[in-house]
Amino acid sequence: MTQPRTTATFTTAMLVCWLIFASVPLWIERVGLYQYLGVEILIFAIYALAYNLVLGHAGLPSFGHGAFFGVGAYAFGLAQFNLAGNLWVCLIAATAAAALSGAVVAAFISHRRGIYYSLMTIAFGQVFWFTAIKAHGITGGEDGLLKIQRLPVDLGVTSFSIADNVALYYFAFAVFVVISLMLWRLVHSPFGRVVKAIKQNETRARFVGYDVWRYKAAVLVLSAALSGLAGGLFAMAQASAFPDVMSLHYSGYVVMMTLVGGGLVSFWGPVMGAAAFFLTRDIVGAFTTAWMLWFGLFFVTLVLFKPEGIAGMIQDLAQRPKLRSRPAAPVTPAEAR
Amino acid sequence: MLLNLLPHLVNGVTLGLLFALIALGFMLILGLMEQINLAHGSLFALGAYFAFAISAPRLPLPQDLLAAWAAVPIGWRFAAALVFAPVLVAPFGVVLERLMRRTYGRDPLYGLLLTFGIAMVLEELIRAIWGTRDYMLPMPREISGGFIMLDLIWSTYRFWAAGFAILAMAGVWVIVERTRFGAMVKAGAHDPEIVQAMGIDLARLRVWVFVLGTMLAAFAGVVMAPMWGIRPHMGVDAVVPAFLIIVLGGVGSFWGAALGGLLVGLVVGLSGAYASEWSMLSMYLLLIAVVTFRARGLFGKKSVLEA
Amino acid sequence: MTHKWKAPARISRRSVLAGASALAAGSGAFMGPWKHNRVWAQGAKKPIKLGLTCDASGQYGNSGQDDMLGIRLAIDEFNAKGGVIGRKVEWITADTETNPATATRVAERFIAQEQCSFLIGAIHSGVANAITQVANKYGTVYLNTNSSAPSEAGENCSRVKFVWDGNGTNFSKAAVQNAVEKIGKKWLLLTNDYVWGHTTSASTKSLVEKAGGQIIDNLLIPQNTRDFTSYLLKVQQSKPDVIATAVGGDDIKALRQQISDLKLEDKAAWINNQQDWPDIWGAPDTLFGVFGTTWYHHLPLPGVEDFVKRWQAAYPKSPIPVPGNVSYNGYMATRELLRAIERAGSTNNLAVIKQLEGHKMSAADRMQHFDAYIDPVTHQVQQTIYLARRNAKPKDKSDLYEILSWAKPDAVLDDAAPGKCKLKADAEVPSYET
Repeated sequence: MTQPRTTATFTTAMLVCWLIFASVPLWIERVGLYQYLGVEILIFAIYALAYNLVLGHAGLPSFGHGAFFGVGAYAFGLAQFNLAGNLWVCLIAATAAAALSGAVVAAFISHRRGIYYSLMTIAFGQVFWFTAIKAHGITGGEDGLLKIQRLPVDLGVTSFSIADNVALYYFAFAVFVVISLMLWRLVHSPFGRVVKAIKQNETRARFVGYDVWRYKAAVLVLSAALSGLAGGLFAMAQASAFPDVMSLHYSGYVVMMTLVGGGLVSFWGPVMGAAAFFLTRDIVGAFTTAWMLWFGLFFVTLVLFKPEGIAGMIQDLAQRPKLRSRPAAPVTPAEAR
Repeated sequence: MLLNLLPHLVNGVTLGLLFALIALGFMLILGLMEQINLAHGSLFALGAYFAFAISAPRLPLPQDLLAAWAAVPIGWRFAAALVFAPVLVAPFGVVLERLMRRTYGRDPLYGLLLTFGIAMVLEELIRAIWGTRDYMLPMPREISGGFIMLDLIWSTYRFWAAGFAILAMAGVWVIVERTRFGAMVKAGAHDPEIVQAMGIDLARLRVWVFVLGTMLAAFAGVVMAPMWGIRPHMGVDAVVPAFLIIVLGGVGSFWGAALGGLLVGLVVGLSGAYASEWSMLSMYLLLIAVVTFRARGLFGKKSVLEA
Repeated sequence: MTHKWKAPARISRRSVLAGASALAAGSGAFMGPWKHNRVWAQGAKKPIKLGLTCDASGQYGNSGQDDMLGIRLAIDEFNAKGGVIGRKVEWITADTETNPATATRVAERFIAQEQCSFLIGAIHSGVANAITQVANKYGTVYLNTNSSAPSEAGENCSRVKFVWDGNGTNFSKAAVQNAVEKIGKKWLLLTNDYVWGHTTSASTKSLVEKAGGQIIDNLLIPQNTRDFTSYLLKVQQSKPDVIATAVGGDDIKALRQQISDLKLEDKAAWINNQQDWPDIWGAPDTLFGVFGTTWYHHLPLPGVEDFVKRWQAAYPKSPIPVPGNVSYNGYMATRELLRAIERAGSTNNLAVIKQLEGHKMSAADRMQHFDAYIDPVTHQVQQTIYLARRNAKPKDKSDLYEILSWAKPDAVLDDAAPGKCKLKADAEVPSYET
């Protein structure tokens, strides 16, 4: 009796998600929103997916991820000004700089877990944030790094300009497709399973023979690198890089997005969370400046009563008919999603 | 040249005493609850805001009552703020404790996430009630301002703030070390099962400890408001030193927290002498250094932080 | 939990939202946090929409709100006369939080979603730069009402942006030469750590050195600092002749309080570059030293009293009882924009820009001592610069200033700016009209 085949490369959820996002620029203005919002949601969806590698899959509570996102944004701008005005060079610079930052942080904290781990991520996040504000000559301090351009997508044979919001959206979408596919494969690979084992019980994983430190460090570095990539995209979207994405608040936003969307139980949770966050900001925000209060209350309620988030609620709804028809059978594990 | 460091040293000691105050409340809660409360900083902030409401005054009272209160000399209003602001914040602590009950015994991740969320909610609540602008706490002239001595500038208020902190810490020491309640708290932190077996209501004890911790944080908020200004996200600057001091001084030790506080305060104060802009940063660097090299702190006891 | 959260349901929810927002937009009952001032359009002409990018919180929250009062007064006056080119003027505002990142988002939203024809308002130069970047992208004309970094007219100038405040160089020029000669050669600078602080202190430095003085130290003060003890300690130990500050908003209020508490205001001469009226009003007893401004409500000029009365009638509940330079700049900028639209006959951005560049405004019209004009090379309004100090004999509770001198715009011109400013040609600016 062999185990069922490993997870499919393409799932319905994945294709549905891609289709929805692909269609957004066609209808977003008709519902009273605007293209730039779509760009923001997509970029933060990438960021949240990268973040969930650490929170949902590895069980490591990082409250300082904004640092990596910010490093990516600054690196993109600085590469553009000092290295080359080439999109690929700058994106690679963003990813590499963030990966390096992740490696430095990982070196200090990978042997810890739980409260100490988060404490250290907060401390490092603040250190990066302070440095970004003070290193005026490099980062522009609180004034930010301005005049970052949206470099054209040069594919050798042709080149597209992404100065327009819609064009930038589709480029970010392409990145999203690649990253989400890559992460999906990673999470369902042997590496991903070891990480899951570490999340369940670190001591046991160590006893079984895995180098836990190395896996935890690798996860953080990878997550940081991809967060930096998202940061580079954001620098293009905003045409600037500011230190406040590195603040404890912003790091907290991505935590909230990820949990609210259901990152703890679902791969696609963070994507839904990112959309929920920005839609709340613009739609609820249209009625009250205290929209964050409501989102925060929603977050707190979920942590208390339904940490599985929106994805968890969807899973519950999907399983209700199954429960009714076969009351004796055990519930399908959430991991199958 | 060394003489120039004196005001910074005094600054550092004062800061240290106040940080220790915040840390004490934090530590009492941690000891008994085995949960980290990231919303502790928000209680600190609420203390400052309620103090502002009392002394400014900005209270939802009928016009004539408000005018009568505003006519009272600022000295009395400030004193009233010192006493009553913590009392007003205490109910928030009770609510917080209630909410945290659901996360006891579970993965500490949930406690972290919950209290982080609550911290954000409280900050937004502050913004919604008091607006987003900065405020300055009105103070009696006698204790504010500065004077020049030994050809150096000294801030009068710093000395008073240190005095208030010492008073409060003495009070906490008496409660923890010399009363039955304190004995129960220490026992409960050490071995909750025996305490319950002895018939003590641990749940009620927890609530009271939370109230004490909350009032300490709020009191620290009132005292520090004139030094730091009053703004919605001031809680963040308070919760990290509290963490740091707990790590430094070890969980469960009164003198550990006190000395840890002084150390942190001195680091911040003295770095203010050389590179003022980096003084807050030095605190985070210190935390990283301590956790890396000596995670059990100066008075090393294995604690719940290492879950 | 009966609402369907499934992904496809989100789309149908959105179509409901689409219908709702269409209704709301049509009925004009849509109230934003972006406070909407909807005006019932008479006939079929679409109203002109102005985006007021004003701070409501942060270091310049108080000034931002004061700025908005001046802007709104101008809008209300035009609407009372029937609008501009037959169209009513509407406005929308959102808090830019004295934060450049927030300002970027607000500007993007105002232009892309709210379809604002023009953007007005800024105090903080970082915020102004961020808004300018976004405005550049779309071609939207942006009026920087109150941000006074010299770089606004220099390396950060823009074809679509117009600067209405005197900048740090103008004020320094008015004060420095005199001070070096009459007071002393040893200067110490206190600089707010952002673009306005840096560029203002840089011009002060070059002016001091040109006049034969010497900068003994430049202390960088982070934004939102409340405790200045360590800086004041250094000031006290360096014993300068003159201390020049480029610190603004709530920071300068706190700084002045502490200087006053320690009785340091008499230990040296203080030159506070430009002081904004909202920063003085909160703490009048701590006003010391010499400072610059572009306007004062007790100027003995025709039109001033009338303007003050109109402002007070419009805003009886304002926390500050009289208008100051911030409100004045906001009013002037908006008024001239609306007049420029009338002269151009349309809201086309290039046509309006053409009307604004080089435009001359008489002294009487400006309620200042000298004529002013909009510099076509840098897009900065060159205007009368006043130097003032605390009034020892106030006529009433609001008479805080004693005006010491008034300089002609050409006497205090920022000479370095035209060299640093490279405006884009018309062809490179996207055409924008709503």
